[in-house]
Amino acid sequence: MAEKNDNRWLIGVVVILVVALVGAVCVGAGALLVLSQQTNTAQTSPVPGGVSTPGSSAPKPGAQPAATRAPSQAARNVLRLPGDEPPTLDPALTGDASSAEYVVEIFSGLVMLDKNLKVAPDIAESWKVSDDGKTYMFTLRKDARFHDGRPVTAQDFKYSIERTANPALASHTAETYLGDIVGVKEKLNRKAQAVDGVKVIDDYTVEIKIDAPKAYFLAKLTFPTAYIVDKNNVERGGRTWTDKPNGTGPYKLKEYVRGQRIILEKNDGFYLDPKPQITTVEYIIGGGSFMTMYENNDLDIVGVGISDIERVSDPASPLNKELFIGPRLSTGFVVFNTRKPPFDDPKVRAAFALAIDRQKLVDVVYRKIPSVATTILPPGMPGYKELDSKAAYDPVKAKQLLAESKYAGKLPEVTWTTTGGGGSAGPGIQTMTAMLKENLGVTVSIQQTDWATFIGQLNDPTKNPYQLFDIGWIADYADPENFLAILFRTGSTQNWAAYSNPDADKLLDQAGIERDTAKRFELYNQVEKMILADYPVLPLTFERDHWLTKPYVKDMLYPPLIIPRLRYVSLTK
Amino acid sequence: MAAHIIRRLIWLPVVLFFVTIITFALGLYGPGSPIVVMLGLHANPDTIARLSREYGLDQPFYVQYLNYIGNALQGNFGYSLVKYRDQPVGILIAERLPVTIQLNLLALVIGSTVGIPLGLLAGLYRNSWFDWSVRTLSLIAVSIPIIFLMPVLLFLLSRPHELTLSFWNFKYTIGPFLPMVAGRWEGVLSGKAALPIFIESLGFIAILTRQMRAGMIDVLGQDYVRTARAKGLRERLVIVRHAMRNALIPITTILGLSLGGLVEGSFLVENFFGIPGIGSLAFQAFTSREYYIIMAVTIIIAVAYVFANMLVDFLYPILDPRIRKT
Repeated sequence: MAEKNDNRWLIGVVVILVVALVGAVCVGAGALLVLSQQTNTAQTSPVPGGVSTPGSSAPKPGAQPAATRAPSQAARNVLRLPGDEPPTLDPALTGDASSAEYVVEIFSGLVMLDKNLKVAPDIAESWKVSDDGKTYMFTLRKDARFHDGRPVTAQDFKYSIERTANPALASHTAETYLGDIVGVKEKLNRKAQAVDGVKVIDDYTVEIKIDAPKAYFLAKLTFPTAYIVDKNNVERGGRTWTDKPNGTGPYKLKEYVRGQRIILEKNDGFYLDPKPQITTVEYIIGGGSFMTMYENNDLDIVGVGISDIERVSDPASPLNKELFIGPRLSTGFVVFNTRKPPFDDPKVRAAFALAIDRQKLVDVVYRKIPSVATTILPPGMPGYKELDSKAAYDPVKAKQLLAESKYAGKLPEVTWTTTGGGGSAGPGIQTMTAMLKENLGVTVSIQQTDWATFIGQLNDPTKNPYQLFDIGWIADYADPENFLAILFRTGSTQNWAAYSNPDADKLLDQAGIERDTAKRFELYNQVEKMILADYPVLPLTFERDHWLTKPYVKDMLYPPLIIPRLRYVSLTK
Repeated sequence: MAAHIIRRLIWLPVVLFFVTIITFALGLYGPGSPIVVMLGLHANPDTIARLSREYGLDQPFYVQYLNYIGNALQGNFGYSLVKYRDQPVGILIAERLPVTIQLNLLALVIGSTVGIPLGLLAGLYRNSWFDWSVRTLSLIAVSIPIIFLMPVLLFLLSRPHELTLSFWNFKYTIGPFLPMVAGRWEGVLSGKAALPIFIESLGFIAILTRQMRAGMIDVLGQDYVRTARAKGLRERLVIVRHAMRNALIPITTILGLSLGGLVEGSFLVENFFGIPGIGSLAFQAFTSREYYIIMAVTIIIAVAYVFANMLVDFLYPILDPRIRKT
C-alpha cells in the first residue's frame, strides 16, 4: 500500500514544474510586454544589424496608454504603413508595384506623374519635342542634388540609361520602358557599346532620340527604369549597392531590415515643392495582421481585405468614416483565345460573354469590392469614356448566337484555366461557369494552375494552350495605348486572345503617333468599341482598393498608379 | 561506435548528391521559371531568352548543376533572382535561420517539459480522470487547425477589449495582453514571440504526451517490470529505473528527428505573425521559382536530418543495452 502511494511525489513534482513554467512564461511575457511597449512608443532602441543612423529622431521617452498614443504619433511625425517586401530597390530592375512604392520616393527621374497622373517636370524643368516627334531636348534643373549633396547632371542621366541597357545587369524592364530610345535594344543584345539615342549637350541639357514618334514616350520616362542613379554609389556598393542608396528623391532610405521593416527619412535638400513634411515613414513589411495593428493604433493606414469589407462598409461602424475607396488602373478580363476552337467563331465568344451576368457577380460574389467593367480602359485612365452604363447581359440572345454559330450542336469541350492551388477554384469562376451552364447549357470544366506556370504559357500568343481564362491587367503608365495596343494589337506579346483585326491595327497605329490629345483619345475610343464588338475578351471588373486612414493623416493619396506621394502627406495633432 | 559514425559521415555526401540533383532537376524541368515570374505579364520570348542567357539558365543541366555545386563548395550559394534580386542567398538564409531555430527550439523545450511528464503520469494512472483529461486535451491540441487557432488567439490576446456594464455605466478596457511583431522582431524571449511559440509547441505537447503515455503503458506490462515489483523493489525505483527509461526510447527518436526539423520554418505561423524566419522565405522561394534559395533550404534541411538521425543512432545504445549487442 505504501509503495502504491510512493509515486504520488511524481505528480506533485510535475504539477509544480508545470505551474512554475507557465508562471515564468507569464511573468516574463508581462515584463517584456511592458518593456516592449515602452520601446514601441519611444522607439529609441537602435536595432542591431540595421543601417540606422543613431540620434536622428527626437525620442519621447516613457510608456503611454493606448488612447493617447495617436497624438504622440503626430508629434513624433512618424507615418506607419503596411508594405510589401520589395524584390529590389534598384530603379533599373524595378518592374513591380512593391518595389516601385519605395523606389519612386528614394529616386527620381527627368519627369514624373503628378497627383492627377499627368506627366510633370521633375529633374528636367522643361523639354522640347522636335517637329517629327522623334527628338526630345530636356533642360535639367540646376538645384537637383543627390542625397549626399552632389548636383545631378546630364551625364548622370546618360550613365543611368546605359547602365540599365547594360546586358550584364539583366534588367527585365529595359525593353518595355526604354526600348523606344535609339540604341537601347542594340546594347541590350550586345550589338552596341553605347546608347546612341542619348546625347549629353552640356551639363544641364540632354537629348533623347526615339525610333518613331510616340505620344506615350514621356509617360514611359516616369517609370523607375528611366530614373537617375549615382555612379559612385553603384560602383562602390557592388551587387548590393541598394542597401545604401544615394538617390535624388524626396525620401532617403534610413533602415531596411528584410522581412521586417523599411524606414524612410525625409530629404531636406529636396528640390521640388511641396517639400516632404513627415520626418519618418515606417513600412511594416513582415506581414502579420495589419487590420488588428490598425485598430490597435500601431498602423496609420491599412488596406481592407475581403473578410473585413462588410464590417468596414457598415455606416454604423466608426471605421466607416476612415474608409476610402479608390480605383486601381486595372481591368479584370475573361479572355477567349481566338486561335482555339470554339472561340475562333465570334458568335461563340459573344454568346459566352452575354451569358455572364457581371452585375450579379460583382454584387453577390465579389461583394462590390471591384466595380463592374463595361469597357477595356478603367476609370481614371486618361481617355476613359463610359460606353455602356449597364453591363450587357442577355441570356436569350446568347443562346440564339450559340445556335447560329458554326459550332451549334457540336461544341467542343471547353476548359477554363485559372490560377490557384486550392481544392476548388475561386467562387467567381465557379459562379461564371454555373451561369454558362444555366444560360447556354454548356459544361465548362475548370483547370487550376499556379501563377508561375500560368504566365509561363501566356508569353507567346501563338502558342498559348489555354482556351478560356481570366486575367487582370494593371496599367504601367497612364495612357490608353498601354491597354488597347498592348493587349489587342496584332503581334503584341500580351495579346492574350491572339486577336487580330487589320482595321483596329490601323486605328491603333494612327492613335500611337497622333499628337493632338483630344483626337488621340477619340481614336482610342473608336478602336475600343471596335474591339469590344468582336469579343476577344469580356471586361469583367475594375479593381478598387479599400483603405482605412487615421483621421490625423492629412492629404494621403491613393493614386491608381504608383507615384511619389509621401511628400504631400502631413500629420495633424 | 566510431566506425558507425564514420560510416554515416561517408553517406552524407551521397545523400546530399541525390537531394541536390533531384531538387535541381525539379526546378529546372518543372513548369515555370524564375525569369517568367520576374517578367510577370511583360514576358516575351526575346526578353526571356536574353535574361536566361545572362543568368546562365540556358546552359545544359549538368553545366548548371556542376557550376552550382562548385560555387556552393566555395561557400557561394548563388544570388536571389526574383524576390530579393542580387542578394546573396547565403546572407538571406543566415538572416533568417537563427530566428526559426530559436523559435522551434523553445517550442520543443516547452513541448517536452510539458508533454513528457503529462504522458508519464497519464500512463501511470491509466484510465483515471487525469489520464482521461490529458488524452482529451492532447487530442484537441493536435486536431485544431492552427490556421483557425492563430486568428482566434490573436484576437483574444493582442487586442484591447471593452467591457461594458450598462447598469452602472461602467466601462473598462482590458488588454492587449501580448504585443504584435509589427515589423520589429525582438527575439524569442520577447512577449511578441509568446503566441507563436505557444502555437508551435502545441503539436510537440500532443505528440510527446501520447507517445510517452503509450510507452509507459507498454513498458508497465512487460515481464521485467513485474519481476522488479515481485522482487520487492520500491515502486519509485521500478518506475524511474525500469519503466521510465524504457518508455523514453521512442521519445528519443521523436526528439532527435525534431532536432532535424528545427531548421524548417512553419510557413503558416511565420507568415501570420510576421516573423522573419526561414518558413516565410522558403514559401516565397517556392512560389517564385527561386532555384538557389530552394536549393539552399533543401540542403540545410537534408544536412540537419542526417545529423539528427546520427544523433538518434548514437543515443540508442546508451539508452538501450539490447541494441548495443547487435
